[in-house]
Amino acid sequence: MIEPLTDVVPSFFAILNQGPLTLTIFLHTIIVLPMIWVYKQEKARLDSEA
Amino acid sequence: MANKSVWSDNRFWARSAAWISGFASVLLIWLTFDTSVQISMGTDSDLKNGVTKRVPAPTVINYKITYEMSAKRGHEVPIIGGNDGKGMSLFQEKEKFFGKDDWSEKEAAEMLHLGKLASQTKNCMNCHTLLGNGAYYAPDLTKAWLDPAWSSTGALQPMTGKTTKEEAMAEFLQHPSKYPTHARMMPNLGITEKEARGLVAFLKHMSSIDTNGFPRNFGKMQGAVNGK
Amino acid sequence: MASKLLDNPFTGVGSESRQLATWYFTFAAILFGAQLLFGLVIAIQYVSPGFLFEIIDFSVARMLHINALVVWMVFAMFGSVYWLLPDETGIETVGIKIGKLLYWVFVVAIVIVVLVYLFIQVGPADEMSIWFIHEGREYIEAPRWADLGIVVVALGFVANLFMTGIKGKQTGIITVLMANMIAFAGLYLAGMFFTDNISVDQYWWWWVIHLWVEATWEVFVGALAAYGLIQMIGASRKVVEMWLWIEVAMLFGSGILGLGHHYFWIGTPEYWWEIGALFSALEPLPLVAMFIHVMYDWGKQQGKKSLDGTGESVVNNQPAFLWFWMNAFGNFLGAGVWGFFHTLPQVNLYTHGTQFTSAHGHLSFFGAYATILIGMMYLAIQGKNKIKVMKNTKSSLWALGLTVGGVVGMTIALTISGYVQVLVSRAQMGATWSGYFDGQASVWFAQGMDWRLIMGVVTFAGFIFLIKDFLTTGQNPVHQK
Ligand code: HEC
Ligand code: HEM
Ligand code: HEM
Ligand SMILES: [Fe+2]
Repeated sequence: MIEPLTDVVPSFFAILNQGPLTLTIFLHTIIVLPMIWVYKQEKARLDSEA
Repeated sequence: MANKSVWSDNRFWARSAAWISGFASVLLIWLTFDTSVQISMGTDSDLKNGVTKRVPAPTVINYKITYEMSAKRGHEVPIIGGNDGKGMSLFQEKEKFFGKDDWSEKEAAEMLHLGKLASQTKNCMNCHTLLGNGAYYAPDLTKAWLDPAWSSTGALQPMTGKTTKEEAMAEFLQHPSKYPTHARMMPNLGITEKEARGLVAFLKHMSSIDTNGFPRNFGKMQGAVNGK
Repeated sequence: MASKLLDNPFTGVGSESRQLATWYFTFAAILFGAQLLFGLVIAIQYVSPGFLFEIIDFSVARMLHINALVVWMVFAMFGSVYWLLPDETGIETVGIKIGKLLYWVFVVAIVIVVLVYLFIQVGPADEMSIWFIHEGREYIEAPRWADLGIVVVALGFVANLFMTGIKGKQTGIITVLMANMIAFAGLYLAGMFFTDNISVDQYWWWWVIHLWVEATWEVFVGALAAYGLIQMIGASRKVVEMWLWIEVAMLFGSGILGLGHHYFWIGTPEYWWEIGALFSALEPLPLVAMFIHVMYDWGKQQGKKSLDGTGESVVNNQPAFLWFWMNAFGNFLGAGVWGFFHTLPQVNLYTHGTQFTSAHGHLSFFGAYATILIGMMYLAIQGKNKIKVMKNTKSSLWALGLTVGGVVGMTIALTISGYVQVLVSRAQMGATWSGYFDGQASVWFAQGMDWRLIMGVVTFAGFIFLIKDFLTTGQNPVHQK
């Protein structure tokens, strides 16, 4: 499951680099997840305006 | 009217766009710091102490360079000064470059500097690719230093009447249209002898950069029948 | 509301901002012609290498081809902003006098740069050549003195945009443009310094090239498309601007880290394989969204209009709308589809730096940018000539058909040549000097180069029609004044 590190320098990103998905899933997730808070705030605003 | 959906609300999307763009930029900057350290040029003591750098010191011109398969990396890597048998450089075996294999750090850096300047002012990249980027009118120069055609058994070295690779390349660069091998020729770019030496140092240095296995199988296949 | 703009589609005609826009468009069109001519020169050299050998070498003509390309697009982009500013903000552009002065500074600088490229061509390997001849870095070869000039001009432009946006009405489109143009101008700085380290050099070079065409320019196109839909078919501003924000999120979200697809092989760490592959694989999504958006709004507006039973079109500028439509489709095809073809590292290992890249480069630059900027020029011609409903003319249709047909034809030819090169030179022969020429000598490759030249001539013929139409259509009686 865990692939051995192949890169020259074992940096944080190099360790996360585990085939096609791990590193990008991680990055996509931390980019997209916080939209939940934006959503909640805007919902509260719309509700209070309604 | 029913409650308005957040999904069709402009403010929600504007704020999301701002967040996503801002945060993606922050991640890119973080990655840039990480990468910048890794691609900074090594030093002469790195070479002497056997430290593998993605971009080695200019004094790499004092060493023998090859391009070999690494089982660990799963692709070819530049091998500097001999292979330890497991695809790692030994940094031992030297190779004469224009007659000497002890170019000082300063001399080597000056040569590389001149070569890089020449590569830009003579516009190599608008005919060739370097590291695969540039124009497609002439061969990729990433590993040109290692091209079998320039080796002592290759076709080009004898054509220039020189007996070493570096002298042959420097001669070609100064008078390229004197040595045509194809109808598509390289023009005379007014390259002086000093600039030509710098350029060859630049090419040798470039061949030592760890390009994650690009180009694949370089120089491994000769005499195969192509698919005409 | 949108309808207010439609009732009075000529806001600010006679405004100085719009006059300046037409200057920008004019010089852009001239440079577009120069771009095509130099493209023909290098295409001939592929077929017949002796052509202009050691007179105007491939490197010189190619540098002119791609620099003219970048510069005409920047001119047309500045022109587009000066054109739409009065409509969007409702006021005359602030600092327009300085804008006009900077326009002339820009034009003079470009003319000098072109003359130096043509007549001096190369210099000795020293800093003087970098300062005064060219920097030898693809697309941004301009010598350093011109770099500094461009920075001043760009700062002036951004200042005008900001001052006008703050003083006038700040619509969503203007807000997006303000943020975007700052990034656009700022990125240029990443391409101005010299380093001996070719990996570091390429690392920052891609910041300019990629983060321009796959981030800031795309967002710019999103903003233009939004403006165009409001102007041409009376789409609702609220809906259009919501789409615009979604596009910004998707374009920047995928495009910024998508930069990694250029960091596979230049000395940078292996983790870029993953980041570059997966983020750039998402880049086509916003392009699909943009296409759907145009079709959707068009259908919706036309559907509403059809209720009145007159069968009239909602489109008040047919040639511009056609070019905008071409943009929506061409952006998706050239950038999205042709880009995705070679964006995974396993594929890119072999296609990197081949004619395949060139196929993608042509279809994407044309599809994503040339089209919509030509569309903006038509909007300007409409506004300048106070035309209420602008119709297609014979020339406008020939222009569109021949340029689009020509570029698509060149792309197909280059794609075939690219495949041959990838398989023969790269996969089979391992990318050496002799491997390279084995690929080039293949009959399929060589015929691809012939067809590219033929299709290039077709493209150029389309350009001639385009210019003819630009110069004459204003007087053409088919339009509804
Ligand atoms: C006008 C286009 C052009 C420019 C500019 C140009 N070259 Fe070339 N170069 C060529 C062509 C074409 C060939 C192939 C010549 C042949 O096979 O006969 C070539 C061949 C070469 C070769 C031998 C092939 C190989 O793979 O080893 C080297 C080395 C080389 N060029 C280096 C350079 C350098 C360094 C520069 C910049 C200083 C440069 N070239 C600028 C067109 C150009
Ligand atoms: C008359 C029509 C044209 C001809 C004959 C032509 C020909 C060429 C040639 C021969 C090259 C050099 C490729 C190489 O290095 O091998 C080139 C590069 C390029 N051209 Fe064109 N071109 C034409 C029109 C256009 C148009 C309309 C655009 C975009 C709007 C364009 C954009 C580009 C780009 C971006 C490059 C660089 C490609 C790369 O490095 O991958 N060209 N063109
Ligand atoms: C309008 C948007 C785009 C434009 C104008 C554009 C233009 C270009 C150009 C001109 C090049 C060649 C650069 C050079 O000279 O080396 C290039 C390379 C590349 N583009 Fe795009 N592109 C766009 C969008 C995309 C998208 C959306 C993708 C991926 C999905 C993509 C993937 C690539 C890749 C992988 C390369 C590298 C090719 C190589 O390795 O040689 N591009 N692009
Ligand atoms: Fe890119």
